[in-house]
Amino acid sequence: MFHGLNTTATALTSQRLRMDVISSNMANVDTTRGKLVDGEWVPYTRKQVVLQQKDPGFSSFLNIAMNNSSSPGQGVKVGKIVKDDTPFDMVYDPEHADANEDGYVAMPNVDPLREMVDLMSATRSYEANVTVFNASKGMMMKALEIGK
Amino acid sequence: MSLFSGTITALENGLDYASQKQKVISNNIANSDTPKFKAKDVSFKKMLDQELLSSFSTYKTDNRHFDLDIKADASSGVYVRQNQSYNNSGNSVDIDKEMSDLATNQIYYNALTDRISGKFQSLKNVIKGGN
Repeated sequence: MFHGLNTTATALTSQRLRMDVISSNMANVDTTRGKLVDGEWVPYTRKQVVLQQKDPGFSSFLNIAMNNSSSPGQGVKVGKIVKDDTPFDMVYDPEHADANEDGYVAMPNVDPLREMVDLMSATRSYEANVTVFNASKGMMMKALEIGK
Repeated sequence: MSLFSGTITALENGLDYASQKQKVISNNIANSDTPKFKAKDVSFKKMLDQELLSSFSTYKTDNRHFDLDIKADASSGVYVRQNQSYNNSGNSVDIDKEMSDLATNQIYYNALTDRISGKFQSLKNVIKGGN
């Protein structure tokens, strides 16, 4: 019965996780000490979420087998969080504590502009899903009023 | 004489369609950022066609002929929309179309519930003898 709401809820969860990852990227835009590898500091690496369709669960197959309902899909999930492999930005700053012999510092491969665009995209998707949620809820409330 | 005329059944079928459509729209909007996702739609006509087809039996002239078994994908009218343009991630959800479909579907559903309520109201009125 609450299938539509559950579908929307999966999208809200995924978009929120996407926003969390973007926040992490933005917060670490200047982090030169992300991880210690063989005694050397490696800068923070940009992270990215991969969205994928949610697999149909048992109830979906049961419904199809019983032939009373079809499967419009189960929503969306975050499949994995991947690291961005683009090279680090080399910035000339000999004063920096993590500068190499030539005076260059490896900065994270985070592009603030790109993160802002992703953030806007996530926000808009979230809003669209909130609208769907309210629409579904309105329909259910209306159905409860039948016969009043 | 039947107390509940065909009207209520018809409206009920309409509600079934509208709630199925709502599920499909929710799923499309939920997946509007999923790479390679293809938008789905639900069609009353396809639903009807499948119902009509399922009452067919294949005329076989040889016992090695296959049965026309359409039960395998008889999934009440949900189909993947064809002839869509995809964006660069291979996703075919047109968010503007989905949002307007959502609004339309909501109004349609509200209209149906309103009519069902009206139907019950008039039945109630008749039972009470107008008091």
